[in-house]
Amino acid sequence: MINKSIEDLVTINFGADKWEAIKAKAGIKVEAFVSNESYPDEMTYGLVGAATEVLGLSVSQVLFAFGEFWVLHTANKGYGDLLKSAGRTMPEFLDYLPLFHTRVALIFPNLKPPRFECSDRHPDRITMHYFSPRPGLSAVVSGMLSGVAKLYETPAEITQTQFKDKGADHDEFLVCWGDSIKK
Amino acid sequence: MTGPQTKLDREQFAELFPFHFVVDREMRIIDAGDVLLRICPGITIGSPLANAFSLFLLASPTLHIDREYLIKHKSTLFVFKSSSSDLMLRLQLVILGDPERYIFLGSPWVRNPTELKALHLVLKDFALHDSTVDLLQLVQTTSTSLHDAKQLALRLELNRNELKELVDTANAPILTIDLLGKVRDWNQTTERLTGFSKADAVGKQFVEDFVNEESQQGVRKLLDGSLEGVKNARLEVMLNTRDDRKLLVIFSASPRHDALGKVTAAILVGHDITELDEYRTTLENRVADRTSELSLANAELSRVMRSKDDFLSAMSHELRTPLNAILGLSESLCEGVYGGLTDRQSKSINTIAESGHHLLSLINDLLDIAKIGAGKMDLDWTNSNLEDACKSSMRFISGLASKKKISVSLFTDPIASIIHADQRRLKQILVNLLSNAVKFTPEGGHISLQTRSNPERNAIEISVTDSGIGISNSDIERLFRPFTQLDSKLSRQYAGTGLGLSLVLRLAELHGGSIEVKSELGKGSCFTVSLPWSESKSHFPQAAPAHKDLDISTDQVAAKGPLILLVDDNEINLSTVGDYLRAQDFCVIFARNGLEAIQVVRDRKPQLVLMDIQMPVMDGIDAISILRADPTFASLPILALTSRAMVGDRERCIQAGANDYLSKPVQLKQLTHAILSHFNHLKIK
Repeated sequence: MINKSIEDLVTINFGADKWEAIKAKAGIKVEAFVSNESYPDEMTYGLVGAATEVLGLSVSQVLFAFGEFWVLHTANKGYGDLLKSAGRTMPEFLDYLPLFHTRVALIFPNLKPPRFECSDRHPDRITMHYFSPRPGLSAVVSGMLSGVAKLYETPAEITQTQFKDKGADHDEFLVCWGDSIKK
Repeated sequence: MTGPQTKLDREQFAELFPFHFVVDREMRIIDAGDVLLRICPGITIGSPLANAFSLFLLASPTLHIDREYLIKHKSTLFVFKSSSSDLMLRLQLVILGDPERYIFLGSPWVRNPTELKALHLVLKDFALHDSTVDLLQLVQTTSTSLHDAKQLALRLELNRNELKELVDTANAPILTIDLLGKVRDWNQTTERLTGFSKADAVGKQFVEDFVNEESQQGVRKLLDGSLEGVKNARLEVMLNTRDDRKLLVIFSASPRHDALGKVTAAILVGHDITELDEYRTTLENRVADRTSELSLANAELSRVMRSKDDFLSAMSHELRTPLNAILGLSESLCEGVYGGLTDRQSKSINTIAESGHHLLSLINDLLDIAKIGAGKMDLDWTNSNLEDACKSSMRFISGLASKKKISVSLFTDPIASIIHADQRRLKQILVNLLSNAVKFTPEGGHISLQTRSNPERNAIEISVTDSGIGISNSDIERLFRPFTQLDSKLSRQYAGTGLGLSLVLRLAELHGGSIEVKSELGKGSCFTVSLPWSESKSHFPQAAPAHKDLDISTDQVAAKGPLILLVDDNEINLSTVGDYLRAQDFCVIFARNGLEAIQVVRDRKPQLVLMDIQMPVMDGIDAISILRADPTFASLPILALTSRAMVGDRERCIQAGANDYLSKPVQLKQLTHAILSHFNHLKIK
């Protein structure tokens, strides 16, 4: 899914030649990625590394951009109505996210999707818990949450409050909107 | 058997079955799930079921729903269509007995998110156990994947078309041969070149049907190798064409693999070299023609060079013959052969002799330069004593130097005493340089000759330094050109041909050496000749003692008055040399050609023959050969006396049987000495 997002992001924003350059740099001979097809994780990390060099961005910038882009373009294009049907509002969507991933895991077991959990539900904030065996992708989640906020046209702040790569057992994000931002 | 003893309140039941509704015995809706009521405004509690829904059946018009039908088909999956919207419900019926109730459980039938949206439903409206959402997600993701796959297929198709276009438009025959040797693909260039269309070719055996017989074996090997995995093997192949034209192609063969890496075919990429081959053949023919022309030209050049040599030889003869007479007669006159001379006569004769010697030196230099130019100057390499050569050369110019009151000095390096060189040519170099120094040094000046070893450069440096008129820097580069004297004034003031330095340079180069000049106008010049030398070889074998037996006084032999036959076609020479020899107490008889000479030898039995070589009727070489063939004259001393002085003359004379060879004009005293040497030799024997 991320691979497809990287391809779309680079192709649309930087041109097909940059995408070919990134693929060549990462040593990837796949002609084009197919959504929901399973690819080795090394391929994703290779693409991210090559993209940082070719596009001149940091790893976290690239991953955040990919996450946001995936929600707003790739997923919206492929899953638009389904995505929207997951909730009438951003909070509803976020609340439904754990179930959505559970269903994905059942339908495509090879994808090994991450697990989400919600806690501390408030009218203007929610805490999202992200569990994944893949290290270093928390910036993608930030980007995706930001993308969801934009999809529902809800100004929001996403703050990572717990880091797996700093010793925690999972990543944690606080998503704030409405009054909690004004404060 | 009863079900689980659970009693659900209405809210719990509605959460589990958000789309349920309940109908009584009269077929009136008496309850419904909140979500259903929300999305389907046509349903109102208490209204007839038939008003809200109709029954959807395959291959039948929609039916009115009545109690009997429901009871009869209670185990069927019911599909109800909303009368007020597009909603379709897939339902399972549960009938309760008392009071009689018909409970419909199910969910909306939606095939994609768009239909979901049209019904104003969200995923949360469905019960968690309802797999409709999973179905929707599966359909959507599958659809997305299918879309991606279609995009990919489109791109692959595009790539394939681009590749096909590339292959077809490539100006190279490209073809694919399968594992059975059959043509699988055949691009447009191959069609154009062979005249066979792809349709003609595909499925046919490539080798048997399209390769010329002479190339078939090679192509089979090429294909076999390629199908075994060999890449880029190359072969020149003669192909058949529809119009029987010659078509020569260089093919490069490589294996083609499937997704699993298995070889499935061989790809041949070719380059049409028919024209190139024709051009190559034409070029080869041209080269052969040109080589032949060059051979002819070379032969002609060789002939011209031989003609030039012959011309030089002939000119040498023609120039030396009269000179021989001039010098000989002058020498005879000076020695009083023709009687005493007055002082004035003696002075004039001396002038004639000097002019003759100058002319002789000029001819000699010219001949030498011509020989070097023709590559015919052979050096007689020996370990030469440099000091002796220096001393001898100094003696040669000492008379002239003395006349001009020029002091001369010699400094020799004892380490550099031996040099591997042609002794005569070495001396020629030294004499030329010294003569020049004398010539261009004013009276009372100084000349020095110095030798130095230079082990670092493995050379001996021989310097001739004078305090003469000097040479300007701009003139130095012209110095070694033949026939160049630096200005006409000099030509008039100093006799010379301008050949001397040119000859010195060429002789030095023949020895593998070089020459360097340092000069300052009005102060003098220094010419340094560097010749290859090795310190380790700087030893000189003990010279053989001089042949004292040759040192016999003329009187001893002359007193006996030996009979000498002088053979020459030139009357002046006969007269000059004859008179001189008679003056030396020899008896002299004459012959004017080879044939006459043979006759005279047989008749008069002379004790020595002086034989000219170039003569009419029969030349000297033939005459000597004939005489030597006669055992009577096998030991008769014959001295060849000729104006020819080219390389090989001496050998030819000696080969014909001459005992010795003297080049004209010989000094008469030298001639006498040679004659006496041979008589002495006979005497010793």
